[in-house]
Amino acid sequence: MTTTSAPSPRPAPPAGRGTASAWLTTTDHKRIALLTLGTATFLFLVVGVLAMIIRAQLTLPSQHLVSNDMYHGLFTIHGSGMIYLVVTPIAIALGVYLVPLQVGAPAIAAPRLAMAGFWLYLGGALIIFSGFLTALGPALAGWYSYPPLSGSRYTPGAGQSLWIAGVFLAVLGLILQAATVLWTALLKRGPGVTMLRMPVFTWSTVATNLMVIGSFPSLLAAMGLLGWGRVFPQLFTENLWNIGYQHLFWFFAHPVVYVMFFPFVGVVAEVLSTFSGRRFFGYRATVVSLLVFAAFSMSVWGHHMFSTGQASNDYYSLTSILLLVPAGVEYFGFLATVIGGHLRFRVPMLFALAFVPQFLVGGLTGIMVATPVIDYQVTDSYFIVAHWHYTLAAGSLFGIFAAFYFWFPKATGLMLDERLGRWHFWLLVVGTNVAFLPMFWLGLQGMPRRLATYLPGDGFTTANIVSTVGTAVLALGVLVGVVNVVTAVRYRRRPAPDDPWEGFTLEWATSSPPPPLNFDDDHPLPPVRSFAPLLDEREHAGQEGADDPAEHGALR
Amino acid sequence: MSIRGIFDDIFLLELSIAGAVFVVITVLLVVFLVRRRAGAGRPASSRADNIVLEVSYAVALLGIAVFLVVVTAQANHRQQQMQAQFRGAPDVVRVDVTAFQWCWRFQHLDGPASTTGTCQEDPATRPTLVVPIGRPVELRMTSHDVVHALWIPDLALKSDVYPDHTNSLAVTFDHAGTWLGRCSEFCGTHHPTMDFYVRAVPEQEYQQYLASGSPA
Ligand SMILES: [Cu+2]
Repeated sequence: MTTTSAPSPRPAPPAGRGTASAWLTTTDHKRIALLTLGTATFLFLVVGVLAMIIRAQLTLPSQHLVSNDMYHGLFTIHGSGMIYLVVTPIAIALGVYLVPLQVGAPAIAAPRLAMAGFWLYLGGALIIFSGFLTALGPALAGWYSYPPLSGSRYTPGAGQSLWIAGVFLAVLGLILQAATVLWTALLKRGPGVTMLRMPVFTWSTVATNLMVIGSFPSLLAAMGLLGWGRVFPQLFTENLWNIGYQHLFWFFAHPVVYVMFFPFVGVVAEVLSTFSGRRFFGYRATVVSLLVFAAFSMSVWGHHMFSTGQASNDYYSLTSILLLVPAGVEYFGFLATVIGGHLRFRVPMLFALAFVPQFLVGGLTGIMVATPVIDYQVTDSYFIVAHWHYTLAAGSLFGIFAAFYFWFPKATGLMLDERLGRWHFWLLVVGTNVAFLPMFWLGLQGMPRRLATYLPGDGFTTANIVSTVGTAVLALGVLVGVVNVVTAVRYRRRPAPDDPWEGFTLEWATSSPPPPLNFDDDHPLPPVRSFAPLLDEREHAGQEGADDPAEHGALR
Repeated sequence: MSIRGIFDDIFLLELSIAGAVFVVITVLLVVFLVRRRAGAGRPASSRADNIVLEVSYAVALLGIAVFLVVVTAQANHRQQQMQAQFRGAPDVVRVDVTAFQWCWRFQHLDGPASTTGTCQEDPATRPTLVVPIGRPVELRMTSHDVVHALWIPDLALKSDVYPDHTNSLAVTFDHAGTWLGRCSEFCGTHHPTMDFYVRAVPEQEYQQYLASGSPA
């Protein structure tokens, strides 16, 4: 986002902080995060446009707006772009911005490593997109890029090689950023911030980044294997290497699904509790469930391979279905927080509330696809496409927008418009559900995923028309969001106070935007006695000496 | 009970549970959004935990999870046993299936019959696998090039098809008819039209087909 020259009530910052070179060599975690988040947001719009072309092609049967291979390139870059270059980077970089603030640290651990992570990510993204400039077009083997199809024998274009290199670099960069966030949360906390006084969001990033460290190197190995196979295509005539690649890939690619929503479980928890005016209910249970969830995430990858005929289906089904326990505990916290709340329906709250039932659809259908006898039928069909669009678009994307509206004032010192925000929200709710709900039905009707076109007699037409209409509404919603940001930044009519939402966590105690070292003489670090330190202060001021937060479960 | 029947039962079971959970959570959420809105004037609770309630709830969830695991694993075993029985039946019809970019080849082991096609957009270019009604059919599938998947949606029958590896599906067609089959694993340029048909015919017609090597 553009925070380059936000007007500040404080004395002018040292000269030169606003220049491009100052930004590009910064060691300030907030700027590193904003560069990453800004790049990811821009790429979200780009790969979103690719989805519009895909939907245009599928609206009616027997359409050939683009060739089959261009269509395959579009879904490959849409899918892999959203996963490797948009949602995962946002999930990690949100922690780069917020975790040092939330744990009262003046800086992130190893800022140059975090900055190197951004450069690798940016380089990887450019390399992936440069495939569009090559003679045979971009990569077109899908986001999981199975060999032998992704080998040089069957996909000879340079675009595929560039994609492998780009994914490798981008993911390597994300590992570096994740490591610095984890290091900060575990070892760089400020005075008074014990582990069990870290906010729920920070805990969600701890679980997230543990999964990143544990599983992402497996993708580096998988990309290495693909690269090797492009040089020596003979490799992928052997089943061992083909199925071996799938194990390496899914060992990464199931945890990455959780990396793409855990931080937003944290975001939704923070937003729900702030706008409910109460501390998050079930803090300890939620922390434990996040960690259990993260540990189990490393044992479920084979449920993506039920139909391979080469995996232990009973075992992977068992571990996958057991995940409903920690997920259910997290939902209990969401609901109980709202049930005892004093609710204010501001825009971040709306997005967080919609996350709850919408992500639930993704979770409940997730149990279905973790069931072998259901998965045999629905895997590689539009049912699966619907399932993970409910987790990623109806879930994570709503979490991303909740975070965006919640912390935009903190990061920029500017408020977004509430009325435009509501339009953004309602268009997105309608668009998302109209776009993705019909896909469940399409899958059950027998429509395979990755289908460049279909025939009039297939019976897929009506649902596809509905889905495309939904996508248009969804796109309009995103456009309203863009207008909201552009007008807020351009006209600067609404300066943000330090704490516009009556927040609970430490970032709301400092200025908007925060000073280079997060807290200064004008904004000292407040005492921290629980995971909601600003709420403690407010309660303390409200009933001086009358109440001890420990009596109603506040953690000391 | 057929393979499709087992899918239908378990899908209906999980859909009912999922529907109930969705309704309960959504209704709770909406009711409390109204009751606890700021305008209603109820102050926020300051309670942060209720460990007894949370632990009992987690144990209840674990019970549901174990129930689902057991029921669905049994269903999976029923499907696998059914297929094993088909494969072991003395009158099983064996067909070697080869997937390639971008069509299918079906080679009968009981006779000289074999069929393939070019799988273009015109349905006449798709191959038709002819099988007898009532006898178990085993499809032994391998790929000539990349990973494909054989899917007959109406029968809930699917398996990936690999090079250098053979997977097997077994099924019985209990009435005359024609079913559409598709490739469901993305396999390159002409993946969208990589379809085929299965036609189940009376035994006598099947024998004629086997002998002549071409559809009646
Ligand atoms: Cu195929």
